[in-house]
Amino acid sequence: MIAIGLEGSANKLGVGIMLHPEDGSTPRVLANIRHTYVSPPGEGFLPKDTARHHRSWVVKLVKRALREAHVSVRDVDCICYTKGPGMGAPLQSVAVAARTLSLLWGKELVGVNHCVGHIEMGRLITGSTNPVVLYVSGGNTQVIAYSSQRYRIFGETLDIAVGNCLDRFARTLHISNDPAPGYNIEQLAKKGKQLVDLPYTVKGMDCSFSGILAAIDGLAASYGLNGEEKEVEDAGDDSKPTRADLCFSLQETVFSMLVEITERAMAHVGSKEVLIVGGVGCNERLQEMMGIMARDRGGSVHATDERFCIDNGIMIAQAGLLAYKTGFRTPLKESTCTQRFRTDDVFVKWRD
Amino acid sequence: METKRTISLPLPSNRLASSALQALEVDAELSPFVRRSFALKSPTQNCTADEDEAAKTVLETTYRATTNRMLRVAVNGFMESLGVVLGVMEELDVDVLTEEMEEEK
Repeated sequence: MIAIGLEGSANKLGVGIMLHPEDGSTPRVLANIRHTYVSPPGEGFLPKDTARHHRSWVVKLVKRALREAHVSVRDVDCICYTKGPGMGAPLQSVAVAARTLSLLWGKELVGVNHCVGHIEMGRLITGSTNPVVLYVSGGNTQVIAYSSQRYRIFGETLDIAVGNCLDRFARTLHISNDPAPGYNIEQLAKKGKQLVDLPYTVKGMDCSFSGILAAIDGLAASYGLNGEEKEVEDAGDDSKPTRADLCFSLQETVFSMLVEITERAMAHVGSKEVLIVGGVGCNERLQEMMGIMARDRGGSVHATDERFCIDNGIMIAQAGLLAYKTGFRTPLKESTCTQRFRTDDVFVKWRD
Repeated sequence: METKRTISLPLPSNRLASSALQALEVDAELSPFVRRSFALKSPTQNCTADEDEAAKTVLETTYRATTNRMLRVAVNGFMESLGVVLGVMEELDVDVLTEEMEEEK
């Protein structure tokens, strides 16, 4: 079985093609094409501009994916798209393309939850069977464990996602958004030496990031580190933090919070495995910190690289194909998008 | 004062016109002050009752809004979605892809 997945809930437009062999052997990635909308430093991507980007690229990417996969229309079984959650206009622009393909090609549509897509691709690539999942990205921060046909949310952010916090701090510092602001913060953090005190806001299984963002934005302003990078920095004053120090401190604080809530979920669930998915899951420092915790508990951590961590089309194809094989279809009349689509709203029929 | 606009889009075949209608009508208008309706029409002026279904190749979209500004915003959004539909039809229809694959061999 072959599925085409279309993903465009944020600033990345992805088209992926997945093959599930008839003999039940391991699914294969046939194509994984992606194009990122990059906004200027100091700016975030807006829904209107992002949707325009997706509209102008979706046909090219589908074509490129079909060519790379050496797949014809006849070979395709279903067309999967992100039903939500995400930004309204980008989601809709991709859904319109998916609907049109479905009608022209005469194939079934499958609407996929973005979070479930990340989880299923993470499970496939890492081979982890029943891990506690930490889903961290620019739009989501959730601790998830599977139980009774649902991906249950044990803990989550109460305000902004951790990736949103990092991205907005990158805006404060006018860091480049290419390839991703989170990646650039990570590189800068490696040069940091001084740990600056920041609020630590874990609330049971949940956490909160807006206070940390306000605090570190305030610090950057008071030390004159915000805006574009100043070339002449005080060489003598060792006690004054640098931009690198602030990035280092932000990472240490927010990642420690994520490790804590994940560990608490592991204790509740009795699991020894952690799976990190979502764009922030690319961060090697987060993987390192989570690895330390998991090993202390006698377990292990699973993570994927940026081909699969960052939003992509194959995760939608993978989750869509799993649902499709259980008989799930999205009728055309119901092939809308929704900006809010809770992870635990999905009935996971393909698992025991 | 209500403002109204009708957009007629001729397409090569009823199949394409019907596909465009179905792809576009799923998304509801977000604003309660805008109402939209779709219809398939024949390009000729004859309005016979037993009109041939295959002859209906024109996608007609009618917008009604309370203000010109809301009408403009809604029609602009429609045009953008329509652009996606037409782009997919132009390059990703079955016959187009089949031709291209044969050319590559």
